[in-house]
Amino acid sequence: MSAASVAPASSARAAVGGVGLPLLRVRDLDVTYAGSVRALRGVSLDVPQGCVVAVLGSNGAGKTTLLRAISGTLPFAGGSVAAGSIQFAGRDLHRMAPAAVVRAGVVQVPEGRQVFAHLTVEENLRAGGLAAARRVRATARQRVYELFPVLRQRAGQRAGLLSGGEQQMLAIARALMASPRLLLLDEPSLGLAPQMVERIADVIAEIRRQGTTVLLVEQNAAVALELADTAYVLEVGRVALHGPAAHLAGAEEVRDRYLGGAAVKEGESAAAAKARIATDDGQRPVAAVPELVVEDLSVRFGGVAALEGVSFTVAPGSVHALIGPNGAGKSTCLNALTGVYRVAAGSARYGGIELTRLRPHRIARLGVSRTFQNLVLSPAATVLENLMLGRHRHGRAGFVTTGLRLPAARRERAAQEDKVRGVAELLELSAVLDRPVAALPYGAQKRVELARALCAEPTLLLLDEPAAGMSAEESARLAALVAQVRAELGISILLIEHDMAFVMGIADQVTVLDFGRRIACGSPAEVQRDPEVVRAYLGTPRREAGR
Amino acid sequence: MNQFVTLLANGVSLGCIDALIALGFVVVFKATRVVNFAHGSLVLLGAYVIGRVHENLGFAGAVLLSVAVTAVVAALVGAVLLRRVRLAEPGTLAVVTLGVDIVLATDLTRRIGTDLLTTGDPWGAKVVTIGTVHIPQTRVAAAVVAVVLVVAFLSVLRFTDWGVALRAAAERQETASLMGIRPGRVAAAAWMLAGGLAATAGLFFTAFPSPGISGSVGQAALGVAVPAAVLGGLDSTTGALVGGLAVGLTATFVAGYQDQLSFLGRGFGGVAPYLVMLLVLLVRPAGLFGGKETTRV
Amino acid sequence: MSRPVRLALGAVAVLLALAAPLSLTSFWLQTGLFVMASAVGAIGLTLLVGVTGQLSLGQAFFVAVGAYGYAFLASDRAGAGERVVYGAGWPPPLAAAGAVLLAGLAGVLFSPIASRLRGIYLGLASLGLVFLGQHILTNASSVTGGFNGRDAAPFRLFGFSFTATNPDVVVLGVPYGALERLWYLGLALLALSWWYARNLVRGRPGRAMAGIRDSEVAAAVMGVDVRRYKAGAFTVSSAYAGLAGVLFAVAYGRIVPDSFGLLMSIDLLAIVIIGGLGSVAGAVAGAVLVTALPLVLSHYSGALPFLAQPGEDGIGAAEAARMLYGAAIVAVLLFAPGGLAQLVRRTPSTKEQDHAQTSTGAGDSALPDPGRV
Repeated sequence: MSAASVAPASSARAAVGGVGLPLLRVRDLDVTYAGSVRALRGVSLDVPQGCVVAVLGSNGAGKTTLLRAISGTLPFAGGSVAAGSIQFAGRDLHRMAPAAVVRAGVVQVPEGRQVFAHLTVEENLRAGGLAAARRVRATARQRVYELFPVLRQRAGQRAGLLSGGEQQMLAIARALMASPRLLLLDEPSLGLAPQMVERIADVIAEIRRQGTTVLLVEQNAAVALELADTAYVLEVGRVALHGPAAHLAGAEEVRDRYLGGAAVKEGESAAAAKARIATDDGQRPVAAVPELVVEDLSVRFGGVAALEGVSFTVAPGSVHALIGPNGAGKSTCLNALTGVYRVAAGSARYGGIELTRLRPHRIARLGVSRTFQNLVLSPAATVLENLMLGRHRHGRAGFVTTGLRLPAARRERAAQEDKVRGVAELLELSAVLDRPVAALPYGAQKRVELARALCAEPTLLLLDEPAAGMSAEESARLAALVAQVRAELGISILLIEHDMAFVMGIADQVTVLDFGRRIACGSPAEVQRDPEVVRAYLGTPRREAGR
Repeated sequence: MNQFVTLLANGVSLGCIDALIALGFVVVFKATRVVNFAHGSLVLLGAYVIGRVHENLGFAGAVLLSVAVTAVVAALVGAVLLRRVRLAEPGTLAVVTLGVDIVLATDLTRRIGTDLLTTGDPWGAKVVTIGTVHIPQTRVAAAVVAVVLVVAFLSVLRFTDWGVALRAAAERQETASLMGIRPGRVAAAAWMLAGGLAATAGLFFTAFPSPGISGSVGQAALGVAVPAAVLGGLDSTTGALVGGLAVGLTATFVAGYQDQLSFLGRGFGGVAPYLVMLLVLLVRPAGLFGGKETTRV
Repeated sequence: MSRPVRLALGAVAVLLALAAPLSLTSFWLQTGLFVMASAVGAIGLTLLVGVTGQLSLGQAFFVAVGAYGYAFLASDRAGAGERVVYGAGWPPPLAAAGAVLLAGLAGVLFSPIASRLRGIYLGLASLGLVFLGQHILTNASSVTGGFNGRDAAPFRLFGFSFTATNPDVVVLGVPYGALERLWYLGLALLALSWWYARNLVRGRPGRAMAGIRDSEVAAAVMGVDVRRYKAGAFTVSSAYAGLAGVLFAVAYGRIVPDSFGLLMSIDLLAIVIIGGLGSVAGAVAGAVLVTALPLVLSHYSGALPFLAQPGEDGIGAAEAARMLYGAAIVAVLLFAPGGLAQLVRRTPSTKEQDHAQTSTGAGDSALPDPGRV
């Protein structure tokens, strides 16, 4: 151990005052966005001095919101603390500006690394140390370069040129420059290769050994539970479970939901149900729905391959899931298929028509429709207006007929509205058709997006994380709805999801991507057992988690 | 040939002044994402203060006072007014600066009235002769001052804490605040800097051989800042410099070869920079050095 | 405001507007015509900026095309030799239609360039268009009359002349001269513009355009041909500008290049933003506020005690008007960034809604862009 392992100067003070009191105390925290969307409800959390506390949960559970509340950056996202308290070493963090929070000793490493790409590594570190006193900075820099020797080597390089793993290390190093007593880490393993994840985990363990307390937010439950002393599981803004990490790792609920354990059981019974639907539904117009054949698809961004040689086939009328770690290229694949990204090589043929040469609106006219990961609705418009946009390709009223209110335009609008109301009823949106979309809760907004995609009467529906931010109950309802849509309309569905229960329950075929390449393809049960998939995505606990 | 070299020399020196104006414009945009349509009025304000007080305080004193006053006014506009509309659309913010510009320009024009204000600079109408090339002394001084200021500014930007903070905040505001960087302070400092640059530019913009300090200076300055900043890329300081030089050279050459270019119409010199700007945008939609926006869906 | 209240207010406004020429003086009539023309131009601009999200500062250019187009097409050839100013001598309604078409065509021609540019770059590039336009107007004297401008032939509809005579019209004891007759022409054109724009916004094209503003990618994926709709938006908005130009030319009888510069573009943009982006009614309300205010102030300057008379020290009427105009822009936007339409409708500003939606995503946004994403 080197001289730089000297703990931050203020830890001496901590050792003297209140050993029993947790360093960070969150009590009954309520956070809302734009005054209406409740992101956190009554969350209570304790982070004892010198420990690593993990916060787990799926997308939209509120983990990032929790960190934002602590670091004081809620206003940037339009959020505010509605109730509850956050206390750090006895001080109320609640209304402090971010700069003050940093000076108090709490520093956050944001999600997605967020390095300053145009600044060099050294300048990034310097930015991180701005809040600290000058004499502390030199020590901090020493410490940082010892933890991350590779950064010392790349000190003069622009941060944008570093690899993902190196950027993550830079982001952590940057935060350490302020010599924090409490380090908040937002999903450090996001989109990193397993070996890199292990390196980061080692670093976090070392940081903790040096005396810094860590609050770790992670989707990769295996790694988080490995590192942590205690853990909390957030679901839809509430603390669903909490306790010592070892206990939680063994808990069946955690294994099922976050370690992808029990989905196999569900998958088997759902497959039987699917088989039933397939045989006795004679109305399904399979012939009308073409096949999507993706062959050797490659997408590159300035030299970096986001997708490399990916191939899969979506059989007519089937549900095909695309899974993999964040940054694996799943959204890139959807974007390439819908003409948003240009393809570097390979082909995607829908009913024999080559998609990669067409502009997005032409692909839409072939019957391909999609939803987005980050909602892209018109917030001020009503639900009805948003859904009507989905009918665009079925309409013909132009500038002349609409502007002059010719009868043709009026008739068309009436017919479109009928269709839209039908879809709205299917998705239980009839009651809110006349309300502005922005006033609806997040789950309802996601349903509006799905409804809009359905209004286009697609034959191929692409869903980008449809269940993100939904509670277990909501996502089960959504899965049933998707299955129903497929059964009634007979359309093909290609979906991206992290929620393993959701995927395994309704998918016929699963393709697994990692680093832009396909690493597995097959039925849900096959894929779940595939060792490559387990290693890259589902997680290998360094100790046996499953018993 | 002689004419060409003279025009080149004068164009470069005018370009230095234009670069100063563009730099102030770009500093504000870089730090706060606001297109400051009031920048021209700030230039006029700087010139006006010098014009009014140089007889009492002497030239040096007038310049110092002008820089101080303009910096303060700029900071007031930026910090006070625009912080309140932080959540508004960028178009709205631009229109707010338009409103400020109207108020400022009208008041300054009224105060100048029919007075003939001069800058009272020590170089007057003297001319420097190098070989057969004649350049007004004010222009030489302008070029020297501009180079010094630009080098100083770029050094500050690259080497000091504040410079790092500004660049970090310009790139990612929320992440920068996680580091303890206060976007409000960074913005206020950027506005003050813009004000100081505007005042200095105002001095040279209205000195010989230009006709003097009048209400139209504001419009003229904005008419330089916009094409220069846009063709260089709104968020690039290098772009502002290149843009300023391009605009100065264009204006000088067009005016110099006016006879040969008479078919393009009278007064083409004022419009030529905009034409150059449009041509650059056709090839590079974000300006020569502007950052490319990426869409994340 | 509830529906019956709004309808009642609207009915009252319409009645007042129809009866106005009976009691208003020429100053007010001409101001009113000016407001109507601005309103038409602003409606077009709000379709482009507010609905489709394309920030354009170039509206004044298309207004000039309309105004000069009408002047050229409707007037006869005047002058001789060096000072000749050409004219086509068409019947005025045809000339007006032609001018509007010319302006629309100019919009179509500009739109491919515009499609390549984003956000503020588009705005500033369109500003360049305005200056180039003014340059051409000042120099192409044989068509435009050069710096001093040219006359525009008075409007005539099927023999009914919009001047003080031919025929003589007396309504309720009030002789209807040029301005009174033009008032009704203006009202009719404004009403038509309003009606067409509202239909467009509420219909399929309006939804497509709003889709482009909120997310070009999402709109494209829903089947919207983004390039075509952007071109369409530019065409429609420049046609509106052209119509506004025709109204200007007809109302004033004489046009000069100076009017169609940066100031007019700023005025139109200010009207649109103060009225509320995307709101047709807001554009009209904004036009009343922004256009009439300076004129009213200068007219009544004698009555306001703190204003200086010409020649005295202190703030004169014109300056006070201008400064008040600037201050009003700032004040309205400080307190209602969504414009008058937001005040009336009381909807949350769109930025807050964006943040609500991305509550799970990382926070930082890239460069600003009215076209979002």
